[in-house]
Amino acid sequence: MSRVAKAYRKGVKVSERHGAGEWTAERLSSLILVPLSLWGLWSAATVSGGGYDGAFAWFASPLNSGLLIVTLLISLWHMNLGLKVIVDDYLHKPATRTTVLGLIALICIVLAAASVFFIVRLALGSAPLPAGFGA
Amino acid sequence: MSSSNDPTDDQTGRFVPQPNGRPRPLSPHLQVWRFHATMAGSILNRAAAGALSFGAIFIVAWLGAAAFGPDAYASYVAVMGSPLGLLVWFGLTLAAAYHLTAGIRHLVWDAGAGLTPKSATTLTWISIVAALIIALAFWAFLFATGRVSL
Repeated sequence: MSRVAKAYRKGVKVSERHGAGEWTAERLSSLILVPLSLWGLWSAATVSGGGYDGAFAWFASPLNSGLLIVTLLISLWHMNLGLKVIVDDYLHKPATRTTVLGLIALICIVLAAASVFFIVRLALGSAPLPAGFGA
Repeated sequence: MSSSNDPTDDQTGRFVPQPNGRPRPLSPHLQVWRFHATMAGSILNRAAAGALSFGAIFIVAWLGAAAFGPDAYASYVAVMGSPLGLLVWFGLTLAAAYHLTAGIRHLVWDAGAGLTPKSATTLTWISIVAALIIALAFWAFLFATGRVSL
């Protein structure tokens, strides 16, 4: 990732910054999300109206829990990349942009961590929270 | 729209100094576009992305409600299963379906295909109609099987 390693590669100027990598990452994540989001829609239809017991049974399947973790993590990664493009389009003051991008990244990380924590507990059939946290 | 791309005689205010010190043109803002399917499709896709970003919070809240047990889950279902809640979820379904179909359309374009004005317009209309069909079929299924009711 060294920025000034090569100014030209095969006669084409190498980017001074890292936008090209993020562009590719956004496409790669969207490609992976095509089948995963179809699975997500189907799963949403399956779980809807099933109540707590239905949801609990759904999460007990490692395939469901595993795929949901993968889907959410890639979605949040894609969301962070996409929101960054919007911010780059509309916010021009470097300080503002840095602050907002940091905030967005923080929200994505918190959502990702919370998702994995909740799903792992549900997959393991753990007692309802706050069990294990002083209650 | 006959502006040159020379930043020294920029009349449009589109050129913004980048962190590396060079002026770079921005893509035009919403209000400068004359209506066309591709322009509407692109703006709708970004709007859908924004809606889905808020939707992510609702989904994590659902996971949290399940992890906090039957009482929390029942409260979540009571709010989200209300008419207003269902309307929000219908909107999120439509946003998800359109972001999916418009995303596939975008991947086709990124691969270098479908870029003539005519095929770009056709692909856009296909993505809009397909998204409507997916979202309506999804909710027709939920209501028909009694999974949700008003």
